[in-house]
Amino acid sequence: MTDLSTSFFGLTLKNPVIAGSCSLTGNIDSIVELAKAKPGAIVLKSVFEEEIDLLYQKEQNSIYTQNLDPEYLNYFDYVIKEENLGKYLDLIQQAKKLVNVPIVASVSCITSNEWISYVKRFQDAGADAIELNLFIIPSDLKRTNEENERFYFESVRKVNEMVSIPVTLKVSYYFSNLAKMMKDLSSTGIAGITLFNRFYSPDINIEKEELTAGDVLSNSDEYLLPLRWTGILSSKVDCPIAATTGIHSAETAIKMILAGAGAVQIASTIYKEGPDVIGKIIKGIEEWMNRKSYKSIKDFKGKLAVHTEDITAYERVQFMKYFGNKDK
Amino acid sequence: MEDRKERRNQEWRKELRLKTKGKDRTSIPRAEMPMMDPLERVHYQDREVNTGLDLNTARQEATRCMDCVNPECVTGCPVNIDIPSFIKNIERGEILKAAGVLRETSALPAVCGRVCPQEKQCEAHCFYLKKLKKPAVAIGYLERFAADYEREHGVAEVPEIKKNGIKVAVVGSGPSSLSFAGSMVKKGYDVTVFEALHEIGGVLKYGIPEFRLPNDIVNSELENLEKLGVKFEKNFLVGRTSSFEDLKEEGFKGFYVASGAGLPRFMHIPGENFNGIMSSNEYLTRVNLMNAAKDEFDTPVFKGKRVVVVGGGNTAMDSVRTSKRLGADRSMIVYRRSMNEMPARLEEVKHAQDEGIEFNTLTNPIEYFADEKGHVSRVRVQKMELGEADVSGRRRPVPIEGSEYDIETDMVVVAVGVSPNPLVPSVLPDLKVSKRGTIEVNEETMQSSVPELFAGGDIVRGGATVILAMGDGRRAANGMDQYLTEKYGK
Repeated sequence: MTDLSTSFFGLTLKNPVIAGSCSLTGNIDSIVELAKAKPGAIVLKSVFEEEIDLLYQKEQNSIYTQNLDPEYLNYFDYVIKEENLGKYLDLIQQAKKLVNVPIVASVSCITSNEWISYVKRFQDAGADAIELNLFIIPSDLKRTNEENERFYFESVRKVNEMVSIPVTLKVSYYFSNLAKMMKDLSSTGIAGITLFNRFYSPDINIEKEELTAGDVLSNSDEYLLPLRWTGILSSKVDCPIAATTGIHSAETAIKMILAGAGAVQIASTIYKEGPDVIGKIIKGIEEWMNRKSYKSIKDFKGKLAVHTEDITAYERVQFMKYFGNKDK
Repeated sequence: MEDRKERRNQEWRKELRLKTKGKDRTSIPRAEMPMMDPLERVHYQDREVNTGLDLNTARQEATRCMDCVNPECVTGCPVNIDIPSFIKNIERGEILKAAGVLRETSALPAVCGRVCPQEKQCEAHCFYLKKLKKPAVAIGYLERFAADYEREHGVAEVPEIKKNGIKVAVVGSGPSSLSFAGSMVKKGYDVTVFEALHEIGGVLKYGIPEFRLPNDIVNSELENLEKLGVKFEKNFLVGRTSSFEDLKEEGFKGFYVASGAGLPRFMHIPGENFNGIMSSNEYLTRVNLMNAAKDEFDTPVFKGKRVVVVGGGNTAMDSVRTSKRLGADRSMIVYRRSMNEMPARLEEVKHAQDEGIEFNTLTNPIEYFADEKGHVSRVRVQKMELGEADVSGRRRPVPIEGSEYDIETDMVVVAVGVSPNPLVPSVLPDLKVSKRGTIEVNEETMQSSVPELFAGGDIVRGGATVILAMGDGRRAANGMDQYLTEKYGK
């Protein structure tokens, strides 16, 4: 009997296919549907710090707020924050009640102030783990890389002080030395790192000469970046790695596990193909394992991870080899 | 009521304008309000800080007013009081007539003269400020003067009122209710005001300390209403003590709900439920209404020595200044924006500064810590900087990473705003209520989705000023009068 169980989020998961944070994991009805496909875990839609600001702006724009004593609106963002948080806590509780799959709460903040404190309430509501969805796009001319990096460590430190359930990070690739950052972050006691966030991408319509949005959903070839870094980091960091972005098939999932990932998070492919794709990918992994006579995930996990210490030298040799020999 | 323009064209007004040349008017400096010495007044919770203008000063200040053709101060007033008319009456020495002009629109001018944020309303639009870049005419001081003069010198005439025998109930006894009650009783209705607390006056009594608004002022207005025939029932929760159906069975035909927004708000940050941390509602109600500051009473309040008050509005100022009067060694404001963005009346901030209140602006609490007994001992705060403006035009406070530090405290008062009273909406399922808990009404008539129920003040607006609440009361009286007349005749 093939054992698909694996370890991520500080938990033992029944299989390595996780329903990643997206709008489909933001309401109880679709969570119940996703759970029927038996993913290893479900990461709830991230609570974004900026959402509060947007809702606050919307509240201020509404007609009834005209002529209000400004004292009433002075701290109104806290009211909205609490309402939003209340809904999220309800979601956690309902999900825990209705589905038999680990539920991971996710928060995305860019300031590590009181937002971090809400993770304790996620824990109290029954979340099995926390995913800290941290990403800073390094576009602020006034912010140094030390300040950016400090934000990650401070956030992790504060969250670790607050909760006893496992905490994982989901990060971007925007680091000048990604490997060192991931290594150092992995030593803080976190239960895993997911590579990488997928950002909103602006595009340009050249006919209208205006900005548009790039494709919201990932393409199946976007997996190469997380694949590379999973391969480089998985043998070096002190916590499990999960890969995300561009994982649309069992084949890609298997590649990630061979590179060293303990799990994969999928979202875009669920939008495209529906929750059944979860079962399809799990089945695809199982069939491959049977063909290859692997009894468990750990039998092949990391088999093709890069163990070389000097990655730069390794990559340069590969680059020369590949591009140098391309026409031969 | 005469048209404002008609009044301006009255002979006495024309003569008054000619009596003093424009440049003589504009050369008069703005009157200063006499006040108690800060070092002395911090020992008294019940002594008003401002002592009021005398007659000569008031008349001189009134002379500054240019009696503009298009007075923008009137449009700056939320209820469009005919400001030049009342001021010009003060100038000519007809103070009781000035008070009469105020009463046409404002039920409680002595209150408004003290608590309205004139610097954001009428005075913000004054010709002096806008055109001459000089201090505005002290409209608020003059309103207070006229109202106080009337109270001290006026002969309270009880007009002959033809009663129509129709009973109306008022829920709450704050400014909106009092305004409504006064209007309705003069229209001949049998008015009963039901108040949950043991004191009538709502926020005027439980919220605003006597060093800002003496109880005598409010009580004087209440006496006038009682003389007119308004009845008051204290310790009565409409919706609990009696239901609306019970009151209908007793013969009440119309209901005005002005139960206010007295539900405290908190920030929900870690440690906020430690002992020694309370809402401003609780703190001020204990002190203002329950004599908590006096040892001989059985309803005490913790008297902190290092008091932190979170917030920047009038309630925060009232709370922090109260703590000073109750013996705090340090009374501190912690507010996340700068002084410029504070919603409190400028005068309250200035008075607070004079009294030695410490202002920690661009500072926001993020966590509380307690001693071994569970009593608050320090608050961790974070420095803020101002980012881009939000929709209201005020700049957003943005946390500065790594700027946290602790302030030692033994008492925290959270004054971050209030929410509408949920009781009446909770007992009337047919009553249409917004997602924020405010009662939805027709803006002209103030009638709700329940035809016999009208509402106004903070329970409709969420949070508003005393003057707006009073305007609602007046408008609702007209609306309910029309409704009841159509339904029952008079």
